[in-house]
Amino acid sequence: MMIGTAQDIMSKVTPPRAVFVDHPVGRTFGPPHDRVRNEAVLARALEELPRFTRANEIRDPGFQWSSDGSRAWEDELLAEMRNEAKG
Amino acid sequence: MPFQYLPVMAQNSAPKPPRVLVSPSKPAWCPINRPLSESRVALLTSAALRLAHQEPFIPREDFSYRRVPADPGAGEIVIDHHSGIGRVPKQDPEIVFPRTALANLQKRGIVGSLPPFHFSFMGGLRDHGKIENELATSIANDLKQSQVNLALLVPY
Repeated sequence: MMIGTAQDIMSKVTPPRAVFVDHPVGRTFGPPHDRVRNEAVLARALEELPRFTRANEIRDPGFQWSSDGSRAWEDELLAEMRNEAKG
Repeated sequence: MPFQYLPVMAQNSAPKPPRVLVSPSKPAWCPINRPLSESRVALLTSAALRLAHQEPFIPREDFSYRRVPADPGAGEIVIDHHSGIGRVPKQDPEIVFPRTALANLQKRGIVGSLPPFHFSFMGGLRDHGKIENELATSIANDLKQSQVNLALLVPY
């Protein structure tokens, strides 16, 4: 089972089972040094395991990076990825 | 709507074409025939991480893999992956390689058992045939020898 943050990429590479975690890439299990959150994300992702009914399904348990539902992290991530491209 | 990575990756690689994404050439679906609480669970990561004393990965086309002890106390993890988004994961590899979280779930009885080792390799490799026929096959044999029932792949 794949546990990943890039739903568009996962839909192209079609793993047998996948759980989508709506976090910034590189922070699948939460921000640094938050062991409670790491464990909570992993446990919640594993809860999806018996719910898959077909191959190549991507399940979305509804993870959110920010507790208030803000997606401001997307602008920060975009800037980070563009800086990476500049080298 | 989820963040769209593919358009950003295409822009970043321009004027070169974006990386080709492929699906496995053979179906990989296996039925789940035992509960998680009776399953041996291994982590797979494409972060090219390792213990500090293990041989470094060579960017960018390194088809080797490392066995990383499943015991969280076995030593500090180093990430060799060349990606620029590695600044944050390098502060705490557990956010992409939840070794401690998985060990805790096993102690709580949610996961049945752990193998001696998890597995780490380089992501972003471009020779898909070599990935499928050599790297993946070697890791699969290692997983089988360790009697792993469920492999969790966390892409980097």
